[in-house]
Formats: sequence, C-alpha cells, structure tokens
Amino acid sequence: MKRRRFLSSVAIILPATMVSTEFFLSSCKAEVKEGYFSEENIKLLDEIGETIIPATSTSPGAKAAKIGGFMKVYVTDCYTPEEQNIFWQGVNKIKKISKDKYGNEFPKLALLQKQEILLSLNSENKINTDTPQFYPMMKNLVVFGFFTSKPGATKALRYIQTPGYYKGNVPYKKGDKAWAT
Amino acid sequence: MGNINSKGIKENTYDAIVIGSGISGGWAAKELCEHGVKTLVLERGRDVKHLIDYPTMAKDPWDFPHRNELTLKEKEDNPVVSKCYAFREDAMHFFVKDKEHPYIQEKPFDWIRGYQVGGKSLTWGRCTQRWSNFEFTGPQRFEFGWDWPIRYEDVAPWYSHVEKFIGICGSKDGLEAMPDGEFLPPFELNQVEQHLKDSLLKNYGDRYLVHARWAHLTQPNQIHLDQGRGKCNARNLCQRGCPFGGYFSSNSSTLPWAAKTGNLTIRPFSVVHSIIYDEQQQKATGVRVIDTNTKEATEFFARVIFVNGSTLNSNLILLNSISNRFPNGLGNDSGVLGKYICHHNYRGSLGGEIDGFDDTYYYGRNPTDAIIANYRNLHKKDADFIGGYTTYAGAHRDRDDGQTFPQQMGAEYKQSMTKPGPWKVYSYVQGETIPKEKNHVRLSKDKKDEWGIPQLITSVEYDSNDDKLLNDYFVQTEEMFSKAGVKNIHHSDSKQAPGLDIHEMGGCRMGTDPKTSMLDKMNALHHCKNVFVTDGACMASTGNQSPSILYMTLTARACNYVVEEMKKGNFK
Repeated sequence: MKRRRFLSSVAIILPATMVSTEFFLSSCKAEVKEGYFSEENIKLLDEIGETIIPATSTSPGAKAAKIGGFMKVYVTDCYTPEEQNIFWQGVNKIKKISKDKYGNEFPKLALLQKQEILLSLNSENKINTDTPQFYPMMKNLVVFGFFTSKPGATKALRYIQTPGYYKGNVPYKKGDKAWAT
Repeated sequence: MGNINSKGIKENTYDAIVIGSGISGGWAAKELCEHGVKTLVLERGRDVKHLIDYPTMAKDPWDFPHRNELTLKEKEDNPVVSKCYAFREDAMHFFVKDKEHPYIQEKPFDWIRGYQVGGKSLTWGRCTQRWSNFEFTGPQRFEFGWDWPIRYEDVAPWYSHVEKFIGICGSKDGLEAMPDGEFLPPFELNQVEQHLKDSLLKNYGDRYLVHARWAHLTQPNQIHLDQGRGKCNARNLCQRGCPFGGYFSSNSSTLPWAAKTGNLTIRPFSVVHSIIYDEQQQKATGVRVIDTNTKEATEFFARVIFVNGSTLNSNLILLNSISNRFPNGLGNDSGVLGKYICHHNYRGSLGGEIDGFDDTYYYGRNPTDAIIANYRNLHKKDADFIGGYTTYAGAHRDRDDGQTFPQQMGAEYKQSMTKPGPWKVYSYVQGETIPKEKNHVRLSKDKKDEWGIPQLITSVEYDSNDDKLLNDYFVQTEEMFSKAGVKNIHHSDSKQAPGLDIHEMGGCRMGTDPKTSMLDKMNALHHCKNVFVTDGACMASTGNQSPSILYMTLTARACNYVVEEMKKGNFK
C-alpha cells in the first residue's frame, strides 16, 4: 500500500466529536440491543440501500450486494454507541414516517414514496449542520458497502485483483467505468 | 536472569549471531551465510514463511468482514498502532498490538513494530533512493551534528551490490541530490504526473519530479528468478505479502537465500536480553536469549555479533548489556548511547484537483509514488531551516464521489459514481530532522516487560526547525502545484507524534571520534570491535532520503569486512 492512501481514505461515518450532548438529552434515545439487526430490519436496510443505490440496466443495486447484512457487521463492530444511536434513530424515523404518512411499511411503499422519505430526512439535516446527520451517514455507508461488494466492484465498476502490469497512460472513452481499487 | 539452560557451549556456538531478521538482519544473514559463516539469526517473534504465512494475499475487498476497516475494539485496544496507515484488516497480523509490548512515552511517540521473521520488511514503504554527499556532509557543513565517518564513495559500490540483488525500479536522472543506481525499468508516469514534471522544469529549471525508485521487480533479472521471485503484478497490496515476490522482503529474498547455503539457523520466539561481554578477552562472546513462550533463558555464543533489532530495540539491547567494564551499556564510554534519536518529519500532505486530461486513464495499480528530489540546502544554505526534504507526489483518478449530483440517491446518482472523477494531485513530505542530545531513549528503572527486560522510555519531540521545514514544504509545493494548474489546493499538518513515520533513527551513531559516537566507520562499536550495529540505530543524521536501503547497504559492507577479516585470521 502506498502511504498516500491515508490521504484519500473516505470518511464513512461521522466523527464522534460532531455529536452534541443536547441531541442525546432531547431526543428519544434508541436502545441498541443485541439482535437489533433482526431479519425484518435487515430487509428494511436492504430497501433503504436499494433506494439510494438501485439496480439499473447495467448493474445490480445495493440489495444484490446484501447491504443490510453488511450494515449488521459494520455498524455493530465499527460504529461508536453514539453513532449507533443516530443510526437507529434515523431508521426508526423512516419506519414511523412510512406508517404515519403513507400507511404502510417502508419496503412495501412505491419507489417515489421511499425517495420522498429519504429526501425529507436529507433536507431536514441540511437546516442545522451542527447536529448529527443521519442521512449522510446512511448514504456513505451504503455507497461504501456497495462499491466494496462483489457486485458493486465487479459490475458497477471495474475490478481486477491482479492486473499483471501497470500502464500509466491508456485512453479513456466517455462512459468507461472507473476502477474499483 | 533465571537459570541458564545452556545445552553445552559447543552446541550453542556459531560463527556469527544476527539479532533480528528484518530488512538489515536479513541482509546480514545472506552476506555471512554466502561466505560460509555459520550464522544464527534470533527473532523475537513468530516465523513467517514466504507465501505460506500470507493469509490475506489473495483476498478481495468483499472478503474482509469490515471491508478492510478497523473495528471500534481494535482501535480502542490499539491507540498507538491503529494510527499506522497499514494497520488495517488485511495486514494487522504483521504489527505488534499495543498490549503485546508496552513502553513508556515520556513524550508522545508512536512506536510501530513488527515482531516476526522478516520484521517490518513485510510491510515497509519500499522507497529506496540513495543518499548523496549532500546528506553525508550536511551535519559538518551546516554544523548541526558530528561528521559521518563515511562518504557517498564508501557506500556507492555497496548500494549497487544491494540494488542488483533486491531489484529497484527507477530511471537514471543524473541528479546530484539523488544519485542514480542499478535500476530496473521504472513505473510509468501518468499523463498528469508527466505534466507536473514538465511544469517544474519549465518554471524552475532545477526542480525535478522523477520516477519512483522503489523495491519492485518491474522486469526480473536472473538473480531475482533464482530467488524464486517474479515480476510485480501491479496489485498494490504489498503489505499483505506478495504471491509473486514482486517487492523485496527478507522473507521472499535474503532469508531463503541464506537458508539455501546450509549455514543459516533461524530461531523465532527468541528475545535477546543482552549481549555477553567477556572482560578478560575484551570482546563480546555471545547473547542471552529468553524464549518468549516458555520464558526459559539460554545463551548463544559467536565470534561476531550483528545487532539488527530495529532502531529502538537495538538501543534497548545495548543499554541493557551491562558489565563491570560497561556499566552504562555495551560500548557506551561516551555516554551517547540512546541519545540523538531522530526521525523523519512526515506531518505534511498537500493536494488538489486539476482540470483536463479527461481522455486519459491508467491500467493497473501503481504501487509507487513519483519523487520530487530535495532542492533545499544543497550547495549552500538557502532556507530558514537546516536539512532538506523529499517530496513524494502523484496523480490519480478515483471513482467520482457524486457530490455534485443534486439528489444524493437514485439511478443517476449511482451511475455518476461508476465513472472516474476529476484528476487529483497529491503530495506528502519526508523531512530531515536534526539529531539532538535531549531526544533520547533510556531504560526504565522499575518497569519491566513480561520477559524481565526493562521497558523503554521514549523522549523525542519536534522542534522549531521541523515547523519551519514543514512550512517551506507547504509554501513551495503549493506554488509548484499552482503553476502547474492545480486548483482547490488544501494542505494538512497531521501533527502526528514522532515515530509514526516509522523512520526512527540514531541512538548508537557512527562517528570518527569515540568520545562523541558509538560506532566506527565499519559500524563496529568503538570499544567492542566484534559487535556491529547496522540497522537504523547507527544513523548519525537522518538525511531526507528513505533510510532502509542505506541500512541494507551498510550491513552488506560491514559483513564483507568481517568476512575479509576472518580470512586474515581475525575475529577468532
């Protein structure tokens, strides 16, 4: 690995310092329990992921990349308790809006309705950047998880584990896919 | 020490003992064994066999549960080593975890270690420029230290000797500040890097961006094939161990080469407690070793001893080698042992974006960075600081981040991220630091490690010279990049503690005067001539070039000196 890699590493989660105390005191605290990643919740996360990175004519989407299963491992092991709280509060909010506003569970909603919900969370976060932002966190997680998955790296992008050689100058034609690594 | 369980002196006697199997210890083993010297290599960690013990080398990104990121627990358990750029899911098994070997940070020092056969040669950065006489004469010319007892001419043939064997790619650029070596073909510059190179020449005339000089087999020669190594396949996954032996490590090259001679014994799990000094014979006769698993103590004996335990551990061993003759550490009449610890200033990085070049891309993953050779304080002092710096630089074109796309979700957002984004230009600095007496390591008087060896106290810090050098790097690189059309330039001072550079040096420095130095011009202790220190501990100043190949070069040179002396009947 080249040392420069540390310069370009992607910020996948919000730094813990961005989490304000006020936020925790004021809002309904989500309890992070073992087994929180139930089968039902993983299906929901798959649907959230698929809304952000959908399958298209050229490549599969986040659901095919088992994004919910990835989140289970990543959020459980790599997120701080504070970050896990933000994560679950956001997910619970998605559940609530789905029921309250659209009268159904998120996975059963139409694509436009799903997008509306996520968009509302996204724009909500833009109002005050001091508070933790659920949508950028979720979005970064989905994007990272998708493009490092086998379908994401090999179908949406180009991936070769062993290129064999390096060539510093090859023509790029508009539309050519980017390298995954 | 507990009971000495010597199985009889004869059985535990070799011609030479090498302490450490990393990048310099491996070279000592190769050179000595090739010349018929029966050699014992002591390694405190486990064995790592080339290919067999590279569990992650064939893994894809999705094979890692956390996609090569660290878990919260790994970070919490390892506040020091988790700062290291290569301590990730794919290579963390080649690093010492914080709890495995505690040390005392009197001032913050990130001590990054690799306790296994091969040491840090498995995970090293692989950058291998030669020192020039500007570096060797720097301390004397600018009066910031004691003169080196050697010059470029003394080491040049040994650089060649090492380069031919390990394989260095690069191009002969004819630069006085960075002498040419024995090079295999270089990794090509991409179009943006070529543009940067041209822009530097046009705008400055005397600033050179050149191809990487890196320990990769771009086109193996017979000597490399004979080692069982092959061409670099441009994977840029080197830190996992290479299935092709495409980059140099002790494990892929020097150690198996030494083993083939039949003269090598490697003993893993053997931490060296101290070197045994015989007052009557006035020389070192062997080493005390503790088995890291059983804690059993054993003594091994030899005619010469090479200390290659990595900079700080070599200092620790010498400091802990106490006798009536040397109450302050082996060979330490001068009192300088453990002092003048220095390192490289790796705090600065700077980058930006460049428009255009949309119709060009690259194939494969370049495992190297281009180099802007040092242009400071060469013939004369031309900056408000002492020393010089190397600037690494390059350009890449990653997957677009989709940030400009208004709706951060959906098919078009996804599609935008499957295409390459704009070209990005990056750089980082490797700056010389000045050896100072107060920057030192010493042994704890009361705290010991689990093998009964005193813990090391680190007391090393930056000074204002480092800040000035860093500032100059920012100002100059921003100017150079701006002139080349790089925009949105941002720079960062990581303010990282010394040590995280993993270029710690000194403490047992070479010098002409035994009153102010530990080692003579052949790397032997002035006051104990059959002990040689040829790892980073021997450095009298840091220069601005990457140090590992100089350690290898000095090791090969010292070993051949030993062999010649043995032929004359010396080192009995």
